[in-house]
This record gives sequence, structure tokens and C-alpha cells, in this order.
Amino acid sequence: MAVFLWLFMQTEYRGIDQLPYPVSLLFRIDPLAALADFLAPGPFGWSLLWPALVVLLLTSLFGRFFCGWVCPLGATLDGLGKLVGRGRRAFSPGWRRVKYYLLIGLGAATLFGVQLLGLFDPLAIFLRSLTLAVYPAYNYGLNKVFDFFYANDVPLVSPLVKNSYPLFRDYLMAFHQPVFALGLFTFLIFLTIVLLERIEHRFWCKNLCPLGGLLGICSRYAILQRTPQRLCADCQACDSLCRSGAVRNAGLIRSECLLCMDCTGYCPEQRVSFGLRHGTAYDPGIDLQRRGVLTAVASGIMIAPAVRIGPVTYEQNPYLIRPPGAVAEEEFLQRCVRCAECMKVCIGRTLQPALLEAGPVGLWTPLVRPRIGYCEYNCTLCGQVCPTGALAPLKLAEKQKNVIGLAVIKKDRCLPFAKGVECLVCEEHCPTGKKAIVMEEQNVLVDGQLRRLKFPKVVDKLCIGCGICETKCPVEGASAVRVINQGESRRKRAELLAGPYG
Amino acid sequence: MMNQIDRRTFIYRTVQAAIAAAAGGLPALDLLSLPVQAAQAPPLAVRKGQDIPLLVRETISALGGMENFVRQGEVVVVKPNIGWDRTVELAANTHPDVVKTLVQLCLEAGARQVRIFDRTCNDERRCYTQSGIRSAVESIRSDRVSIEYMDRRAYKELAIKGGQAFDRWEFYMPVIEADRLINVPIAKHHSISQLTLGMKNLMGVIGGNRGRLHHNIAESLSDIASVIHSDLTVVDATRILTANGPQGGRLQDVRNLDTLLASPDIVAADAYATTLFGLSPEQVPTVVAAARRGLGVMDLEQVRMV
Repeated sequence: MAVFLWLFMQTEYRGIDQLPYPVSLLFRIDPLAALADFLAPGPFGWSLLWPALVVLLLTSLFGRFFCGWVCPLGATLDGLGKLVGRGRRAFSPGWRRVKYYLLIGLGAATLFGVQLLGLFDPLAIFLRSLTLAVYPAYNYGLNKVFDFFYANDVPLVSPLVKNSYPLFRDYLMAFHQPVFALGLFTFLIFLTIVLLERIEHRFWCKNLCPLGGLLGICSRYAILQRTPQRLCADCQACDSLCRSGAVRNAGLIRSECLLCMDCTGYCPEQRVSFGLRHGTAYDPGIDLQRRGVLTAVASGIMIAPAVRIGPVTYEQNPYLIRPPGAVAEEEFLQRCVRCAECMKVCIGRTLQPALLEAGPVGLWTPLVRPRIGYCEYNCTLCGQVCPTGALAPLKLAEKQKNVIGLAVIKKDRCLPFAKGVECLVCEEHCPTGKKAIVMEEQNVLVDGQLRRLKFPKVVDKLCIGCGICETKCPVEGASAVRVINQGESRRKRAELLAGPYG
Repeated sequence: MMNQIDRRTFIYRTVQAAIAAAAGGLPALDLLSLPVQAAQAPPLAVRKGQDIPLLVRETISALGGMENFVRQGEVVVVKPNIGWDRTVELAANTHPDVVKTLVQLCLEAGARQVRIFDRTCNDERRCYTQSGIRSAVESIRSDRVSIEYMDRRAYKELAIKGGQAFDRWEFYMPVIEADRLINVPIAKHHSISQLTLGMKNLMGVIGGNRGRLHHNIAESLSDIASVIHSDLTVVDATRILTANGPQGGRLQDVRNLDTLLASPDIVAADAYATTLFGLSPEQVPTVVAAARRGLGVMDLEQVRMV
């Protein structure tokens, strides 16, 4: 857990162009991310995702150790469960099947081209909530404290707070206050999952988590097992204390045991031990009902056409702009696991989670939102952190040629055009060596007088859509220059060769 | 890492702040009572040379040495242009060696503290690193020198007396409160102000929506310069950017001039710098406006070349 939090803090630009640590490690060991990658078109990203396969292999040998020892969402639930109060109700064991149905349904949908695994992937939920909601809130709170003592000189306290500020600013806080759309929404979802603890300890992990389901299937024949296998007639403590309810009268449900090994500690008689052994007398299997499985598969398969019959969002929304290195939209949606790593690391704060901008299945996928921030010309961080190849890791020279959109000047807003007032902020900031926005001088009538004014013009061939012009445009409210997704590099070449308007 | 605080500074600052608090806060500064630089025959030094540290030292000693501008125990702000995420040879930012030598000169003149910062256009972490200025300044290894990021909390809205474009704007208080400001622009092409020089470099120590200044750039920059007084303006023309400014990005737009010029008069310095681009001061509206408003001398005949 600490390792992940540390990596999380390292997912930020600290003066080095290449991130020195594998900050997206969490997703490289994530079997669901690997599944999404595997089912997406194109070759499997071995180099990125081999650790996930190691996890699967280890799980089939030893069981769901991942859920007990690695998963940060599980650890968070264990920790926060105490705060919100923990339910002790034994929930209907039928609910345990839901995670398998969810896994099967999501898997089927993915197979047919609609990948939603990321919405339910516990690692994605964890990092997304942390990035989009918890960490911004933490920074906001700390900043408010520092600001208060900066603005108001409280004797003795203010100097202390002021002097600790550099330490916090340099190591323990984000450089810029993170600002994200969907912060509250993401937080409410996270809160719901935490509140499920009030019903039952690890409700999410036991009943809903599709990753738990996948690892459960793998661990059916695991050889690291607990002795005694069943509840002891004289004690039965495990019945209520086992966090996953894996120990039953009939025996141990191996696909549910998280190998947390707490039972070795709380057993009053010190009877419990874990060891390697083959097979077991009791094998309840993964008790799925044919009807449930069929429903899950059918719903999964039906999601695909249901989504496809809508208009192509991509053409409907010209402002749907993806980060540099993004693969073609359809493949992008199949690869992106909505982990929010790219949004965390984005130095220009332009990457924002989508709600419906990218269509109903594009929830939480990264969008370039140039009015909020821009894509820094010399930065390649998002491609470095993407765990599934939805964003290709581009070299700097490639990135500077990667077209993500095209700036368009709105003459009804732009000051020289609309008001006859001088302005050149877009041209000034344009980062391409030979500027993609040039100023052209013309004589115009302003309030009846002839004036010589400079007007900005976008050179389509040079513009890469970084959006700094839209960010910096000094017109209040809607920017007078906006980036649209015309001419992106990731579109098929055939489309690009068509006339000036596609 | 900069801004590291050792025990001594910590205690020192704590005591200092406690005393300041006890004394009822810092004494208010009446900015408008600052005298406008006397406009009589300002000196201007122009030197050429390839060895940048030597060039800086020669230019400043022509003006009588840094002791003329910085006195024992003063807090000095050295304000280079660090605006862009560009490397040294692309001539978008002030040359790091110019900055470094000036800082050293300030230390030699007995400055208590030398602070270096700029409000950048690209991400400040990238600009400070890529420009080479961070490493150049840090290589001085003096606890009296700090290169720091602008503190977003330290801006304050001030009235601009006699402002033509604005009557109020946000200013960066550490600059206003410092004893001395050394303004170190790099000479560059700019599509609206024609050139970006000393006056434009002052945009790096103000807050607010800076884009709005461009609607009336000449008067706006004069408004700013009427509040922020530069004790010394050093124009870095070791290499200049002749097109695609102010951030450039192509080597063919860069010209090496190996020149440095300095003057206590910001208008005189800017006026001379226009000639490096084959222009005359009258062709750059910012210089004309500033001279008209008495911020300095633009007539190069009236400048005392030293």
C-alpha cells in the first residue's frame, strides 16, 4: 500500500523528462488490464503486462493472495471499514456469484468490442478515486491551511506553518492544485463502495469485484491451503471473524480465501496453519447457475450493438480530443482501463475524465480539454504511464509531430476580428518552431476609421492541436480559438488525404 | 533541492516573523512615493565578447561596478526571462551564464539575499530546468541565493497612479518589497510589441490575466514600469531571436551578436536594443510611450555611452 502511495506521489513531473520509476506498476500487475489488452485489437503488450500474467500464475498456485496482500482497494476497505462502522450481517451467499456474472458479462462485452472492465476494476477504482477526488481534496485542504496562516499572522503558529510549507510543497503536495471534472461524482462512487462495508466486511471483494472473480477462478486448485479446513466444532470463531467468510462447516472455499492469514493470529487455540498440499476433500466449485451465466453472457453481448446503434460520438462531438499517442478511437475505448494515470501525470492539467463527451461507454476516459489546460509541447509523460497501450509511448520528436487536433479561430470572439483591438496571445504561445499561428496585417475599418491591424491565422499544416492558444486566450469565458479533432494523426490515412474539410 | 531550510534559517525566520508580527506587521510601503528615475543623460554600457562571464563583468564595471547599484545587506531580485520551455541555444530565455554572473556580482557587492524568479508561460518546472538557469544559479552554492517559483499567494492588487491602460493591477510583492531589482531580459522578436526587451520582461512579475495587456501593449507596459522600478536593466543580446518570437524554437531564427548592454535607465537600454534589430527607437511603440511618460530617455543622442 505504501509502495503504491509512494509511486502515486512520484507520478508527477519533477524536473526529469523520463519518469524514473514504474509508476503504473499497479496496472501492469493487473490481470483485468491484461484481459482488456488481450481482447483489444492488435498484439498483446507483453513488455508492459507480463507481470499481470505472473500474478495469474502465482494465483493458480497459491490462491487469492493478491486480494489479501496487494490490492490497495481491499486494504483501503479494511482501513476505512472501521471508521464507517462494519456490518456483521451474513449476507446471502448467493450474492457471491454476482462477481462471476459481472466478470463473465464484462468479458463477453469486451469480446464483442465494448470494454467496460475498467469501470469495475478495483485497481482502477482505487487510483481513479485517489487521483480525481481524494488527492485534489487533500491538496485543497492543505493549501487552505497554509494560505490562512500566510494571510493572517498568528503569533508562533504562522512562522511554524510557513516554514514547513516548502517541505510540503516540494515533496508532499501536488505542484499545482489538481483540478478535475467529475471529482465529486468519482468520490460518491468511491464512498458507496466504502459504505458497503456497513453491510458486511469486504462486501465489494466478496460479492462484486470482477478481479476477485477472475482470481477466484484461478485459485480453485491452489495448493497453499489452510489447516484445519473447516470450522472447529468447539470454537467457530472463523465463522464470524474471517473477513471473506471462506471457512465453512463443510470446509474451506478456496476461491474465497484471501490468504490474509489473520486466522493464524486470532485462533484462540493456535490451531491454524497454512501449508502446501494437493487437493482436498471439500470442493464446492464455483457454484454458478446456468441461468445466471447465460444472462450475463447475453447482456454482455447485447451491450455492443446497443452502444453501436447510437450516432458515432466521435463525429458528433468535434471537441472529443484524445491525448497524444492515443490509438484510433474504437481501439482506444477497448484498451483504456480508465485508471486515470495519464490525468494524474499531465503537467498542463489538460487531461480530464469524460462523462458523456465520449459516448456512454467513454466514462472516465481521458479527454484533452484545452480551456482548462494545454498539452505541453516538450512533455511525453502520459504515454509513459499508460499501462495498456491506449496511449502509445511516443519519443519527444514523434510527439511534437503527433496531431491531436486543429485550432480554429472564432472570428465572432477574437479581438482583432470582433472588436478591432490588438491581440496576439495565441501566436505568442504557439510552440511549434515555425509557428502554426501567424499574424497577417490588414487595413480595416474600425469605428469608421481606417486602421492597420494584425490578425491571427492558423496554418493547418503546422498545427498539432496542443491547445495552448485556447488555454491562454485572454477573452473571458469561451475562448476565441478552439481546438477540434480534425486531422488527428490517429485517423486512417485515407481520411486525411481527403479535401480541406475531411 | 532549493528552499531547503536548515535549522539556523528556520530559527532565524521564526524569530524574524515573530518580531514582525509583534511590531504589527510589515510597515506599509508607499509605492507611489518612489522617485521616477531622473531623466538626465543616463549612462549606457555596450560591450561585445564571447566569454560571457567576462562580458558581464566588463559591462557592469563600465557603469561603475555593481556597488553602484547594490549596497551591503540589501535584498536583490534578479529577474531574467525564463518564460519558455526552451533550451539555451534557441534564444527564448536569458542566457544562464549572464544570470549567474550577475548574481555573483550582487553577492560580491554584499547583497544579503539574491532572489531569482519569473512567472513563466510554459510549466515553470520545465522552464527553470530547460532554460539552464536553475542549474546555473544552483551551481553558485550560496545560501544567500535562491531560485524560487513564484508564490501564488504573494500577488497583491495595487493602484497605478496615472495609469493610461489600467488603474489597478496585481503585482508580485517580493519584487516591490526588495531593495533592488535587476532586470535581465533577452532581446527577442515579438509580433505586437515588435521586440520584447526590458519593459516587456517586467510582465514576469505581475499577476492577473496578462494577455489583456496586449490590447494596448505600449501604454500597459508603461503602466507596469511606472510601478516597478528597475534599478539596472541588462539586455542579453549574446544571441537574439529575430523571428517566431517570443519563444522561437528554430536555430535559423537565432543570431549571435555576443553583445551585452546595461543601463540604470530601462528606456535607454530598450531604445539602444532596438538598433540591434536594425530598427530605431521610434519604431517601437512601447519605448515611445515610456519616454513620453517620463520613465526614461529614448533619444540615444542624450544617452551617455560609457
